[in-house]
Amino acid sequence: MANLLLSPLEKMYILHGVRDDCRSDGRTNIDYRPMELETDVVSHASGSARLRLANTDILVGVKTEIDLPNNDQPGYGKLEFFVDCSANATPEFEGRGGEQLANSISNMMQKAYQSSDAFDLKQLCIFEGKQCWKLYIDILILECGGNLCDAVSLAVKAALYNTRLPSVKTALLDGGNVDLQLSDDPYDNKLLNVDLAPLLVTLCKIGDKFVVDPSAEEENCSVISLIVGATGNKTNYNIDNKKNESCTDSKCTTIVMNGSGSLAPKTLKNAIKQGIEAVQFLDQALGQALLRERRENVTMKKYSYGFLK
Amino acid sequence: MPIDYRRFNGPEDSVSYKQYTKNFLKSYEELCNELIDENEHRKDGRALDEARTMYARTNMISQAKGSSYVELKKTKVVCSVFDPREIPNKNEFSPLGQIYCEVKFAPFSCPRKRRALVPDAEEKDLSLSLKKALEPAVCRYAFPNYQIDVFVYILEHDGACLAGAINAAGLALANAAVPMYDTITACSIAVIEDKLYVDPTEEEEYVANMTPAKEGINHGIITVAMLSTLEQVAGFTQLGSMDGTCVINATEILQKECQNIVPIIHQILVKDVIHNIDLSEKLEKEAKLREAALNENMEEWKKLLSAD
Amino acid sequence: MEREKINRTDKKICIPGLRLSKANKDVISGPGTYELQGYIYANLSGILKREEDQKTKITVVSVESLRTPSLLPKTGDIVTAKEDIKSTDKDRIEPYKCFRPGDIILARVLPMTDAHWCLLSTAENELGVVTATAEGSPDGVNMVPVSWSEMQCPKTLVKEPRKVARIIPERLNKKTDDNAEKK
Repeated sequence: MANLLLSPLEKMYILHGVRDDCRSDGRTNIDYRPMELETDVVSHASGSARLRLANTDILVGVKTEIDLPNNDQPGYGKLEFFVDCSANATPEFEGRGGEQLANSISNMMQKAYQSSDAFDLKQLCIFEGKQCWKLYIDILILECGGNLCDAVSLAVKAALYNTRLPSVKTALLDGGNVDLQLSDDPYDNKLLNVDLAPLLVTLCKIGDKFVVDPSAEEENCSVISLIVGATGNKTNYNIDNKKNESCTDSKCTTIVMNGSGSLAPKTLKNAIKQGIEAVQFLDQALGQALLRERRENVTMKKYSYGFLK
Repeated sequence: MPIDYRRFNGPEDSVSYKQYTKNFLKSYEELCNELIDENEHRKDGRALDEARTMYARTNMISQAKGSSYVELKKTKVVCSVFDPREIPNKNEFSPLGQIYCEVKFAPFSCPRKRRALVPDAEEKDLSLSLKKALEPAVCRYAFPNYQIDVFVYILEHDGACLAGAINAAGLALANAAVPMYDTITACSIAVIEDKLYVDPTEEEEYVANMTPAKEGINHGIITVAMLSTLEQVAGFTQLGSMDGTCVINATEILQKECQNIVPIIHQILVKDVIHNIDLSEKLEKEAKLREAALNENMEEWKKLLSAD
Repeated sequence: MEREKINRTDKKICIPGLRLSKANKDVISGPGTYELQGYIYANLSGILKREEDQKTKITVVSVESLRTPSLLPKTGDIVTAKEDIKSTDKDRIEPYKCFRPGDIILARVLPMTDAHWCLLSTAENELGVVTATAEGSPDGVNMVPVSWSEMQCPKTLVKEPRKVARIIPERLNKKTDDNAEKK
């Protein structure tokens, strides 16, 4: 992450704060910082979202293109993640400086979305074995204030929720080639089903305890963190908001240890449980925010802040 | 994807012939059922919770500082470790040494496709996971501002590559006399249709990564690396989709499996030390013989000088 | 604790992570070992050594690797180094009288003052230039030391100033051996 220098005393202060469950910004160990989320901020993208988590600023744009499906997966579409660490965030990212960080984040996202339980790629199929949608998810890191993974996963889910694919009017097989006709009407489009899309939660081990949503300073004090990616919950995205009895549990789609330290097995297991709980909580909050956005969008009551806020 | 233009890359649109075979068209259920017979035995006759026997040795590559070879039946991995060298393109001082890892598949190592010579995403990911697992095992304070190179070459891939690579790298590092906190061992598990396959083969891994027929069935792969004496988890990766209890159950099994590998690794390291003792004793003997011969010569010269 | 003991001429074999002993004020950890939570563990594979200091009665536990350890030179070690004076330093006369680029020297590693650099010292009779080639001579023709501060090329007979290392005679070939004896 961005270069940050902390004195031993500052580290000690953070460590003691975590031990006593009162962090330097007044949060408890399981509190998130306030977030701002706005969808549909980039006009030329099929879907977009901007998320600001304290000082971390993420902009995600989804571009759709048509591609050939893979041979071994004829009925599936494609999803690809690209992360760009802007030099605006820190001069270190200039040139190829942020490449390593960018790769590790896009890798994490790719892994988290790999399972069909996380994202159903069948919905991106146009004509089996011939044509499919390919979603390019471009993640721009405008500012880093710690906890990039969580912020990126939230912003990606919001952007996918906001993504509109043009409706396919006709898709005919004409002598081995697909004859495709898409709708010209910008309002004639279909939405993606991203209810189950996974969220990532970083659990940072400081001293003997884990904290969620670490700030950049806290990340600096920790040698090991655990990133847990788990699926969301359908009920959080239902417009009627009735609590379905088939409330499925979140499933882990990816777990990675990050950093140079190690963990006792018992601590690891506890952290995994804590991570899944945090994902469920986060998903619920995201669901509420996205549903409100959509309602405002439909009723044309939404005021766009864009980048001004 | 970038193409290495210095080599002949072959036609760009070549495909594996296997997709025209019957095997390729099998459905998920068929593949699943094939993996296990009615007695809960796997294709190679193992029980579900039975790992493959590991064969390993050190001193595989004579010109490396340390090297090792690990074989899990058809998974074959070579690892070499080289002397610390200065971190390239780095100006500021880093108090801890770096470990540079590179995992590479041989072009003919995989049953499904030919591996390109340029490292692909999977190889990069394996390298990163290996690095993360090794970092807590190596005493990095011992070589500040320097980096140790660890190269892993996978000759044949039949599942559990990351585990094989970690085991091989641990052996090679110890063989290279790189100071380490502990011996590191790793094992992986595949989850298919809620069943746990310890030490999976490539086929089992492939099915574990596939989309199951029904929604909400646990599937995926977990790899755990452990520091045995200190009882710490050095590396953990999970992929797929499984609920919390499944992850935790699998972790517990893997913990035990890692412990099972420890005696094998210890035995190899002890053999290595004994080999070195024998070697140094032999060298010492030879040196003594040489010195005796030299002393004789000296006496002669002294006589000659005094005769002058 | 599993302890790998194989009695082979009374040598105790250690492997990384092996718990060797308790650490207290009488038993301390030496090279090849580390201390964690009151115990000493091995971090190399090799042979266990326990050395007791006669005066202080402190036992140092260490592990001796039979391979050259993959460590950086420690303070006090003697190293063979290749001379590589930066071009900016060339105009300084002092080093130029002692070493030239390309020389192989024996030197002692000094304590690190600045963590970036490894300081070497040749301020001992046994340390200094071992092999060197005179300017203009073909590669591989090494100069022969003629005094403490001069070397001569056997081919061109050019004499150049060097800080010559006094090498322990038995390590050199017969010819120089003979010379040393004559002195």
